[in-house]
Amino acid sequence: MATITAPPLAVNRRTRAGETSPVRHVDVVLLVLPFVISGLGLLMIYSSTRTRLERQGIDPMHYVHRQGLAIVLGTIAMAFMILVDYRRFRDLWALIYLATLPLLGAVLVLGASRKGAQAWFDVGPLQFQPSEIAKVTVIIAVAGYCHLHRGDLDAWRLAIAVVMAAIPIGLVLMQNDLGSAAVIAVCAGAVLVVAGVRGRHALVLVLLGASAVGAVVATGTLDAYKIDRVASFINQDSTDQPAWEQSQAEYNLEQAQSAIATGGFSGSGLFNGTMTKNAFVPEQHTDFIFTVVGEEFGFVGGASVIALYALLMWRLWRIALLSSDFFGTLVTVGVLAMFAFQVFENIGMTLGIMPITGLPLPFMSYGGSAAIASFAAIGLAINVHMRRFS
Amino acid sequence: MSDNSRVRVAIVGVVIVALFCALLARLWFLQMGAEEALKVEAVARATRVVQTESPRGRILDRNGVVLVDNRAAWAITVDRQLDNDTRDLVLGQLAEVLAPQYTIEQLAANFDDLRQSPLKPAIVAVDVDEKSRVAILEHIEDYPGTRVQKLTVRRYPNGQVAAHVLGYVGEISDEQLQAHRADGYLEGEAIGKAGAERAFESDLRGEPRRETVEVDPTGLPVGPPVDVDPGRIGNDVYLTIDSNWQAATEVALAQGIESARNIQNENVVTGYKELEAPAGAVVAMDVTDGSVVAMASFPTYDPAQFIDGISQTEWTDLNDNLARHQPLVNRATQGAYSPGSTFKLVSSLAMTRYGVRSANEWMTDRGFVVLGADKRRYSNAGSNALGRVNLRSAITKSSDVYFYTGGEEFWQIWKAGDVDRGLGLQTTAAEMGFGASTGVELDEAKGTIPDPDWKQELANAIHPTEELRREHGAWYPADDILMAIGQGGMSVTPLQLANAYAAFANGGTLWQPRIQLDVRDGAAAEGTPSVLRTVAPTPIRTITFDGSVRAEMLAGFEGVTESRAGTAYQAFAGFPLDQIPVAGKTGTAQVGARSEGKGDTSLFAAYFPANAPKYVVVAVVEEGGRGASVAAPIVRRVIEAITGVQPGLVGPSPVEALDGGRD
Repeated sequence: MATITAPPLAVNRRTRAGETSPVRHVDVVLLVLPFVISGLGLLMIYSSTRTRLERQGIDPMHYVHRQGLAIVLGTIAMAFMILVDYRRFRDLWALIYLATLPLLGAVLVLGASRKGAQAWFDVGPLQFQPSEIAKVTVIIAVAGYCHLHRGDLDAWRLAIAVVMAAIPIGLVLMQNDLGSAAVIAVCAGAVLVVAGVRGRHALVLVLLGASAVGAVVATGTLDAYKIDRVASFINQDSTDQPAWEQSQAEYNLEQAQSAIATGGFSGSGLFNGTMTKNAFVPEQHTDFIFTVVGEEFGFVGGASVIALYALLMWRLWRIALLSSDFFGTLVTVGVLAMFAFQVFENIGMTLGIMPITGLPLPFMSYGGSAAIASFAAIGLAINVHMRRFS
Repeated sequence: MSDNSRVRVAIVGVVIVALFCALLARLWFLQMGAEEALKVEAVARATRVVQTESPRGRILDRNGVVLVDNRAAWAITVDRQLDNDTRDLVLGQLAEVLAPQYTIEQLAANFDDLRQSPLKPAIVAVDVDEKSRVAILEHIEDYPGTRVQKLTVRRYPNGQVAAHVLGYVGEISDEQLQAHRADGYLEGEAIGKAGAERAFESDLRGEPRRETVEVDPTGLPVGPPVDVDPGRIGNDVYLTIDSNWQAATEVALAQGIESARNIQNENVVTGYKELEAPAGAVVAMDVTDGSVVAMASFPTYDPAQFIDGISQTEWTDLNDNLARHQPLVNRATQGAYSPGSTFKLVSSLAMTRYGVRSANEWMTDRGFVVLGADKRRYSNAGSNALGRVNLRSAITKSSDVYFYTGGEEFWQIWKAGDVDRGLGLQTTAAEMGFGASTGVELDEAKGTIPDPDWKQELANAIHPTEELRREHGAWYPADDILMAIGQGGMSVTPLQLANAYAAFANGGTLWQPRIQLDVRDGAAAEGTPSVLRTVAPTPIRTITFDGSVRAEMLAGFEGVTESRAGTAYQAFAGFPLDQIPVAGKTGTAQVGARSEGKGDTSLFAAYFPANAPKYVVVAVVEEGGRGASVAAPIVRRVIEAITGVQPGLVGPSPVEALDGGRD
């Protein structure tokens, strides 16, 4: 902290130490954390899929191998995001932004549709989800734009920034990927808040956003299953009806909460979760992976996982404060908002305090694009951190 | 970085901290807190308990003779996971081997029977013979998913002996399931339906084996059981019944009824007709503790019919075929009969107790008496004039006139407003255990003690108009007069009658009759199993008798068999009464109007040895004519069996056999 409030001292320390190489300033905690959480994620993916795969006569490590590959690819992406000076991204934000849009547009035409969303490119055996990449690129773009107009974010410029965010959000919504759209909106919002959006502008934006959501619901643009998800969240205390009358969303919610509740304080033990093993919670290796932690490791495990994410948040928040330039702060806040929102929304939905959206739990859920994007985002933050003296 | 930005970054941090705290709080609440119901639900959703019944306990007699035990029955099961084609193939092959016992339709119907647990392989055939079993086992590889499983079913080593006491086991009914679900019963399981099997269900059943298996979301079991509760074999129930005496009693009853069917029905005025004697019952009881040593009901049934489930045809035949006279009914406890003159036990006690007539007061029996405002004529059987009678000889000779007049006096007292004394007959009858359940472990009727209230209620239920109700509901002299000789509305079960005589014979203790002696450990291997619970004799109440009156009555009852004037003198001719004095009372109860020509109910109640009473025996034969000619000989046979007296001969040492020979 002292280095920032007292620049002369910082200069002093830097010169005395003679350590200007960025590698010296890598945030080791932040570098290691994604791998720790990913490792735990692999274990949970294995636990939740092995019995089912064995019964189907498939290699029980099937999902583990694929996720392992995604982690390797993610590591490469992270390395790339660390090695390229983040200020290059700052300067190239417009290009990055413009490259994102056709990617998002193309998936609507060429992409594959799964789970009610047309958000994937089939790339050989892997699926590639542009909206995951868009989360990071939109953060860079909005942060770059705000950095350009730092200290002077008037209504006109704010409007441009909002439109910049709104276009990819709209494209992602057209892919039926409500969760990712929400993440991008939250990230852009957080960047704008820290960039210095004025109070009354913020109020107008919030009102606009609310009426947009209202309009979307009122005009029935959303598919029935999404309303169903939200409705089941609102109605969850009144779901006494028999299973066959429950919607899929209510079923998901009830199974997830049952599984977590079964865990108790210390859980049933690894590979011993009855509901996990016998696949009672749908999407348990992807969006509902936290229920595996909850059932098999109980409150101790669940709280530990939340603590790991809290540690991750703290390191990111710290970088946002330590950054040597405004772009670094903004981009890190965007990354921070991205992880915080996804973690809260994902764990929150399994616990029944947030509506069900198709958002993965960063680093833990099975899913390649999300893993790669998450590693890349962390790489970006590490980049900002280690180059704060250079 | 401006201070403004720093504040804004800090705000973002605060928001995130708040969100994470919310997650932690909710996680704590869900896992550690109030959501116990969710856990229970989750466990219920993910696991199922597969329940298999343990072998039932045995039922034995007081001497350890097995009355009911189990035998192995081989069942064929087929897995539910088979695809439809394979299953049909397997059932077809099984049908070939099991023909003609089972057709493929039966096998398929059993496979699809919803009462079977979906978690267990379906039982398609039970009790298959050895040949079929071996044939299947030798080529088990040709029958995918098929297994031979051992079941236990009830076995009755003594055939039909004590069928009514033992009862039978059957598949639990919907009503029983509702009542017993809390005890862990499931659809398709066996439960005691009647008799001891039902009364001692909780002892006999044991604990079922319970395997907890995990199921997938579709409900099919997955993997080996995660928890096994091996259960416990049912405990053995020992009855107070003596199987030898029981068998002899059943034979005596059947033979007595057979002989009655050769006797002329005196109530048929025109032409000759033999007695129908369709049914009857005998109870033999230990007067010292209320334990039933033999209990027979005729006609009887074969409990083996109920093994593997009884067919609808057989069930209908047993219950609704009038020609079979409802063999499932245990008439010893469920039959309600007019007691006839056997009720004079109660009348005698009541008359002396309530000052109607003292024991040594004499009167003249002219064979009939005219009583009441309507000057109705009440006669002895055959209008026989019995001359001078007191209490003792009135009992011995069964003078109806003696008791008619007593009954009439009760009515006069009641009419005069002394209700307590006026209803002395009713009060004494109730005290002797009539009109109420005895408390025996079996189904029983309560019988009826008629009194003014009862009569009015009956009239109200039957008659439509107020006038008719008043006319038929009024308490007339005839009501008390007929009641004094055990007729009219009075009805008793054979067990109630036996218990009343037992209370008189033992000096005043009315025991709660029972058939359960004790419960012993069913899991014990060879040797003497440990007694888990002994059923203690339970007195219902103690009745005080006037000593001199009781002595007179005892003498009167003894005279029934010993005196030439006694009504059962002929029936006990040749019986060694000098060694084993038998006291008793005959009863011949009119059923319906004389004009119907229905045979009288034949009754005899006896206790012996008269000088130190140990057992009471009561026989009742429906439409069996005179008590002296049908019921009394049956009782004699039973007494002969219990004492070891050879029929018509003097046994080697009958008294010894009685006192210590048995148990």
